Amino acid sequence: MQNPGTGTRPGGSFAVSCEELTFSYPGSKERALSGISFELRPGEYVGLVGPNGGGKSTLVRLLNGLLRPESGSVRVSGHDPATEPFEVRKHLGVLFQNPENGLVAPFVEDDVAFGLENLGVPREEMRARVAQAIRGVGLEGYERREPHTLSGGEKQRVALAGLLAVEPEILVLDEPTSMLDAAGRREVLEHLEVLRSRKTVLHVTHHLEELLNADRVLVLNGGELVADESPERLLADPELLRENRLILPVVPRLALALGLRANFKTPEELAGTILTGAGSGTRSG
Amino acid sequence: MRLELRDVHHVYAAGTPFEVAALRGVSLTVEPGEVLGIVGGTGSGKSTLVRHMNLLLLPAGGEVLVDGVDATTLKKSELRRRVGLVFQFPEAALFAPTVDEDVAFAPRRLGLDEDEVRERVRESLGLLGVGDLAGRSPFALSGGEKRRVAIAGVLAMGPEVLVLDEPTAGLDPATRGELLDLIRHLREAGVAVVLVSHDLDEVAEVADRVCALHAGRVCAIGTPAEVFYRDPGLAPVTVRVASLLQESRPEIGEPVRFGETVAALSALSGV
Repeated sequence: MQNPGTGTRPGGSFAVSCEELTFSYPGSKERALSGISFELRPGEYVGLVGPNGGGKSTLVRLLNGLLRPESGSVRVSGHDPATEPFEVRKHLGVLFQNPENGLVAPFVEDDVAFGLENLGVPREEMRARVAQAIRGVGLEGYERREPHTLSGGEKQRVALAGLLAVEPEILVLDEPTSMLDAAGRREVLEHLEVLRSRKTVLHVTHHLEELLNADRVLVLNGGELVADESPERLLADPELLRENRLILPVVPRLALALGLRANFKTPEELAGTILTGAGSGTRSG
Repeated sequence: MRLELRDVHHVYAAGTPFEVAALRGVSLTVEPGEVLGIVGGTGSGKSTLVRHMNLLLLPAGGEVLVDGVDATTLKKSELRRRVGLVFQFPEAALFAPTVDEDVAFAPRRLGLDEDEVRERVRESLGLLGVGDLAGRSPFALSGGEKRRVAIAGVLAMGPEVLVLDEPTAGLDPATRGELLDLIRHLREAGVAVVLVSHDLDEVAEVADRVCALHAGRVCAIGTPAEVFYRDPGLAPVTVRVASLLQESRPEIGEPVRFGETVAALSALSGV
């Protein structure tokens, strides 16, 4: 496990902490992020949503050191991504939108090992960690498959295994399902659900239905952090949703239209309640 | 116009060890003014299929017909004006210094006079709700704005069939909703739309007919209800909810669109 002695560093007791974080792209008069402050506590599963151009991708790039803040600070497990990017990448892994862009090696197992090779991990240890990561995403037997022969969902799981092999305690998921079909999306989400008990997760998405089980949801709009709410409270606030170009997922939207409460997560839950209600007269929640 | 694909086959890298049969005998029609949804998993052949609609790819077997005439006998420029194809992430092809210049590029190449070009640019940008961006640089826009400008560029050619390949991927929910409104609007204006999407909820809302592809073959084609109720496990949320209720309450029928589903479920006593 990671060194617990990071508590003395600034932001050290948090997995991620941002304070008054501000950033503008060169040549742009508008700020991509202005004065963002928030923390992720170890083990939390936090959603990040907001309109296109709201600042989500910029924030992800600041967290892993691809961009440097104009002012304010970022700490990832107590480290500053701007000055210690390689240290930060041991603690925080990013799963990007398009799995095609991340896969580089001829075989699945080499691809999963890529991050560890860059860290100079000894061969025996590497073999064990790669095997464990491949098991972690349910791809046993795929070790010698060529990545280009896999489906979109499988490719994204290979990319996820590559991150897991490095054993970061924080995962940032940047729209990990937006290029996948319905089956691939379900497959990736199921594996992420399994991981949440062991990781701190920041999940960026346009699909609120993926965040119904999150601990909190952050909303970025116009470079500002405009909300930090539980998913239940976000879904119950039509004005907040509208202002941030969000739309209620179909299951809760259907429930509301039928005069039920919005807090249904799956078609099964909603159908079950409708059947019970229809059999025994109206029941208000 | 009526567009027909008859037993179309396509093979990538034919004659090499990497040969892949991407389409294995696909037949379908796009009727004038309809919205045809094309769904199917990654690698099922959706993008290969739509590239045959304006002969950007030539079929290895079978034929493409426009109003009953073999499309290969038509002038390519004419075919591509009448069947507009918007690729995935079309904003990658934006190139001009201003939005209106970018959208004017294709109609100008059709040899239209400058007044007509201006009119079409104004109209297309207006339809996509980005008229106020005309003088801006396309590179300074947000992802959703760029996407709409890129679609306006194809619309400005005045196509009779507009093919949209995953037009809403990566867009925020409100922008997705606005693009669906645009599709409804085009249908009212008599333009046929082919919508390729892996978002079944979105196809359910706007499609008149749905074609499901699997491994390069059409595995189902028909009304949204006919196609989606065949396999409710991989169907839009509305169909999944209704299918769960159908067994004990068959009177709800087979609703697909959100409004239809609300109406059908509200009719159950006690809800």
